[in-house]
Amino acid sequence: MATLLLAHVSHYLWVLYIPPVLIVLGSIAWTMRAERRRRD
Amino acid sequence: MTLLPYAHALVAREDLPIPAWLFAWGASIVLIASFFALSVAWRTPRFEDDRWRPYGAGVSRVLLGIPLQVLCGAIGVLLLGLTVYAGLKGTTAPDRNFAITFAFVTAWLGFPVLSVLLGDVFRPFNPWRAIGRAAGGVFRAAAGQEPRHLPYPEGLGRWPAAAGLVAFVWLEIVYGPSGGIAVALSPDDAAVAALVYSGYTLAMMGLFGVERWCERGEVFSVYFGMFASLGAFAAREGRFGMRKPLSAAGRWAVVPASAAVVIASLGTTVFDGAQEGGLEGPMESVGEWLTDAGLSEIAATRIADTAFILLCIGAIALVYELGVRGMASVRGAPPLDRLRSAFAHTLVPIALAYLVAHYFSLFVFQEQAQFTYLLSDPLGDGADLFGTAGSGIDFRLLSANAIWYVQVAALVVGHVIGLVLAHDRATALWGDYRQAARSQYWMLAVMVAFTCLGLYLLSVANS
Repeated sequence: MATLLLAHVSHYLWVLYIPPVLIVLGSIAWTMRAERRRRD
Repeated sequence: MTLLPYAHALVAREDLPIPAWLFAWGASIVLIASFFALSVAWRTPRFEDDRWRPYGAGVSRVLLGIPLQVLCGAIGVLLLGLTVYAGLKGTTAPDRNFAITFAFVTAWLGFPVLSVLLGDVFRPFNPWRAIGRAAGGVFRAAAGQEPRHLPYPEGLGRWPAAAGLVAFVWLEIVYGPSGGIAVALSPDDAAVAALVYSGYTLAMMGLFGVERWCERGEVFSVYFGMFASLGAFAAREGRFGMRKPLSAAGRWAVVPASAAVVIASLGTTVFDGAQEGGLEGPMESVGEWLTDAGLSEIAATRIADTAFILLCIGAIALVYELGVRGMASVRGAPPLDRLRSAFAHTLVPIALAYLVAHYFSLFVFQEQAQFTYLLSDPLGDGADLFGTAGSGIDFRLLSANAIWYVQVAALVVGHVIGLVLAHDRATALWGDYRQAARSQYWMLAVMVAFTCLGLYLLSVANS
């Protein structure tokens, strides 16, 4: 059962490669918002 | 001798201390830390001036003199001839025929690295340039005047080279394998392709001039020259000299469609890695759909693979375009067109990193064959010219872990260098280093995306 579960999980390991990109994009969005607030 | 799947990292499952995806996180942290270091410490452009300095006249006389040029050209023509001959007359087994390994491994994978280390080494060995120059010399002697050429349409830029690069890789990894029906391109097909390419190249050289075509349209000159622009050695105005490493890449990329060349390089490497991993399922589905629609299995596979290779190239182009548009949103940004060409060179180290990461193990293993049994028995007909025909490939030379670590190191170093080049160009364009740093958030996102993509593709291919 555990082996079957692991086999399914391995199909979705690609998801773990996405967070670094999202973190950088999130930081960009946060910085741009902060700048816009400073200008206003 | 087992048939080898060409153009893939050859590796057994590795036994890593941490999961492969954690390496992607670690690599991303290295990039982010590099970005902050650059933002603080890199305040003025340092690569706009390459500070090329010539070596002594004696060095230039030897390296750029006619005798060595003629010798290197003759070697290039000989190797081209041997490749064509072996392809047409030799064994049909790709792994036993000199032509396939020499064209698609030794030359295609070897020259980029050599070019970075030693400068544009392909130029003197370029067989088509040698033949073109010889033909030009004969014309001059016979007609008493320079051959006349058409002006090269500058707007065309390097588009012919970009298209040719895609065609070359397509031939190797789509037309040849065709979904596992054949293991690799047949030596006969490779030889015919070489002859067709030779005719086309010599015709273009006749139309536009040898050097002009080599700068803009000749696939191998442009491709290897792209990597040579990262290196420290270069010839200029008849002298051989040294320049600041990385400083010539920006100037290389000013020619129109240079971005297309580097994006094509990246995209085709991504496809090669993805076709045995993340894209395997979708490609098979599309192939089956086309077969159900009435196409033959081979035609369906080739069409599906072609669609996906173009998709990969398009995806790389889209990520780059998003980065460029992000930079364009920062105050003080130059026009979009200028940005697109101004940052194209920052992808060159990434293209090199992808190339090294995906193919270095294949190179290490196949070069053992190139310099042993393929050298002694180039036609695969049982000859033993140098007594090494019985040698084999030692796959124990590289462990699975060693391959993975080299792949990670190549990707990290390549992307950090890309970040450095981008930051340097931004300081030149924006002037104010703070605005320049703000513009580079977007290139950081591009670099992190490419790093994670590269490591994901490699981890899937290796498993």
